[in-house]
Amino acid sequence: MNNSTTSAPGRSGNASIRLGAVDICKNYGPVAANRNVSLGIAPGGIHAIVGENGAGKSTLMRIFQGIEQPDCGHIIIDDTPIRLSGPKQALNLGIGMVHQEFMLAPDLTLLENLVLGNEPEAHSLGVLSTIDWSQAKRAGHALARQTGVRVDWKRHAGGAPVHMQQFVEIMRLLRFGARILILDEPTAVLAPPQVDDLFNLLRNLSANGTTIVFISHKMNEVLALADTVSVLRQGQVTFEAKVCDVDVHTIASHIVGGHSDKTVKPHEPAAIKAHSTGTICNVRNLCVRAKEMSHPLHDVSFSINKGEILGLAGVSGNGQDELVECLVGLRMPHAGTVTLDREDITHATNAQRRRLGLGYVSADRAKEGLAASASVLFNVIAGSHRDRPIKKGLFLNPKVMRTSAIERLTKLAVKYGRLNDVAQSLSGGNQQRLVFARETASEPTLLIVSQPTRGVDLNGIAVIHEFLKTFCDNGGSVLLVSEELDELLSLSNRIIVMADGRIVGETTAGSTDVTEIGQMMVMQGAHNG
Amino acid sequence: MADTTLPANALMPLLDKSFRLAFPFLVALAVGAAILLIIGENPFDVYALMAQESFGSLRRSSATLSAATPLLFTSVATAICFRTGVFNVGVEGAFVLGGISAAFVGFTLPVYFGSAIIPLAFAFAALVGAAWLYIPGLLLARYKVDEVVSTLMLNFVAFGISGYLVNGPLLSRESGNNVTPLVHEIAQLPRLLPPSTLHAGFIVGLLVVAAYALWVKRTPSGFESALVGFSQRFARAVGISIPATIILVMVLSGLVAGLGGGSHALGQLHRFADGFSPGFGFTGMAVALLARNSPLGIIFGSILFGALASSGTTVQLFSDIPLDLVNIIEGTVMIFAVVELGRITLFRRSVRS
Repeated sequence: MNNSTTSAPGRSGNASIRLGAVDICKNYGPVAANRNVSLGIAPGGIHAIVGENGAGKSTLMRIFQGIEQPDCGHIIIDDTPIRLSGPKQALNLGIGMVHQEFMLAPDLTLLENLVLGNEPEAHSLGVLSTIDWSQAKRAGHALARQTGVRVDWKRHAGGAPVHMQQFVEIMRLLRFGARILILDEPTAVLAPPQVDDLFNLLRNLSANGTTIVFISHKMNEVLALADTVSVLRQGQVTFEAKVCDVDVHTIASHIVGGHSDKTVKPHEPAAIKAHSTGTICNVRNLCVRAKEMSHPLHDVSFSINKGEILGLAGVSGNGQDELVECLVGLRMPHAGTVTLDREDITHATNAQRRRLGLGYVSADRAKEGLAASASVLFNVIAGSHRDRPIKKGLFLNPKVMRTSAIERLTKLAVKYGRLNDVAQSLSGGNQQRLVFARETASEPTLLIVSQPTRGVDLNGIAVIHEFLKTFCDNGGSVLLVSEELDELLSLSNRIIVMADGRIVGETTAGSTDVTEIGQMMVMQGAHNG
Repeated sequence: MADTTLPANALMPLLDKSFRLAFPFLVALAVGAAILLIIGENPFDVYALMAQESFGSLRRSSATLSAATPLLFTSVATAICFRTGVFNVGVEGAFVLGGISAAFVGFTLPVYFGSAIIPLAFAFAALVGAAWLYIPGLLLARYKVDEVVSTLMLNFVAFGISGYLVNGPLLSRESGNNVTPLVHEIAQLPRLLPPSTLHAGFIVGLLVVAAYALWVKRTPSGFESALVGFSQRFARAVGISIPATIILVMVLSGLVAGLGGGSHALGQLHRFADGFSPGFGFTGMAVALLARNSPLGIIFGSILFGALASSGTTVQLFSDIPLDLVNIIEGTVMIFAVVELGRITLFRRSVRS
């Protein structure tokens, strides 16, 4: 390898900062993903980086890995400013990244995966070299001892439990000489006991001098594992502290931006008056079993009243997505019931629920809310293509299709070129308005709305908020799932809070503030009994 | 409101679009020309000769249309699935089984059924083709069995079944080997321009393309299958059943392929014979890819490939150009048509992940 110019001096010496950032800025078009981010992580430390989605955590990690170049500022390795050309150089300098999706080859054994890309050779014969499996095995056992994990090396990666795959991935990076491990939400895919195993492993590594950076959404994990914590909000480091000096609520308030004293008025009379006219949707004891890559739900019960906006708050990845999928019919619960307008829809398909008056605005606009490469026309008509008058007799009526498409788009003031343009040619805000135009065209009684303003510009946010209010004033009901607490507070009549797959609290918007909700959001474990 | 077209720019996208559509074929002609140069032929002369042999006279034109007839069916059958994002390569097998089914009805039913034998034979062929592709449709929809593998393998099963039947129970006593008896004269599709082999199956083929166009543009299920092709997650979230759509398009595809086999048996060969299809199913795939599944494109593409096939045969007779040139052009068209077809590749990646 010809990187003598980049190999850091003092590699084995006692640097005061193992990995750091100095005034890093990164812009994607008009969006500032990182603004003057500075960090310093001591050797052997465990550093947590927390923040909402879109706060700039991933961008910073990509810069640490050399995948992205900062627009200004630089990163520091072992007290030395460095410009990384790519992940390979980062790894040569000892920075290893564990992604949320593991990079193991499923059809190879764990041992084969461990040495993949850097196989020990029995004889040096160029392409004819054979792999020294006994040496590989020794390396595997040594790493297992070092990390305190028992590994069945003969197992195929695809069939191994998900935490085992993760451990092998970590060992693989260690074998490559990683001294700094970056983990992107490492516990998102793990069950609780597996989380304990992972933490033990990481503590062992840290005790042996490996520096660990991990991104997390879960406060209790930060407190359990990290020495130091940084909070990113809107691309800036807004808070930094030693974990022993700080409590959950302080961190939470910095994550959600509760330090701003902005008081938000809930919107009133009409909706709150309508509030008392009965229940539209009732969820009772809903349970979803734990499965890898998804969060379980425990005994979730709540109801949505006619004419109200019910806010659902929670740190992302605490089961909100799974709950929404159960409500709209894209995931089947293992126990519990869901009723819509007094009809039991627990096992109804999405189409049946839509006929009963359900609308759904997905959090994943690009992949689920829209068919990005299909035309605007298709996107705005989809779902109601079997309804009259779009369908007349056996056939679609293209004329009615176009006129009702234009009518729907006009109602939400969607800006578009032509009906045949692809949906992804629209701006983020207009795409979301298109989704609303489609989902409300059939005049649903209940609208399940998840992260409606994610990636939407300010003007678009105002339109969507106004629309939701009008929708409720006209008697509709909304379940609003959002990570923007300001949004929840300004729109909702009531707010329920979800943590760790449970509803942990309920409050009315008029009588609460960001701090109180933030505290409820991180109250994990309180309801475990 | 905003749905207006600017006349000044209207021509540009059209030109752009037609270039993109023609691109794979132009590349294929260039590759063919390079090969002709290497073997010491003048590509312009050869292409001129081929054009002459394809459309030079009424007789040659009708030979071209005759060669295009089975492709109309197989390319529609392929397009039905491709636009849904289902990579069905089993049209060939369904075509062959449709052919033997129609021939069976054509020589088995008593003559006094009269010309009613023809619709009955077509119906049976369609039924067998549909049932045949229902199998991989079900496997994909219910058990996520990769449709490329299952349909490709089922082709060989179809060849095996038809080969057994034509050499065993359905073997003609008069003709010796590998052929069934001729269908009754009343069951044969009329020739449109004798002495050319162009037969009424061509008209049936055009009707099938028209029905396909109607399905694509005007039916809810056609609309749904397009949405499934764009994004399965999106389609599911707006209430479309993915398994039902997959099974539907597989069955429709088999139905059309079966009709195609029926048309070829009743109109062209008047029987079923071993080697019934010299790869009509796969050429139909090239046509569907080239046409981007558009009905009009399918008609043009079928005639184009029909022209290649009919001129290829005669060009071989009159010069040293091997028939393989046609295969080279066909293969190149397929490769470059797929290069352009980003949608299916993208879709498949998202399904696997």
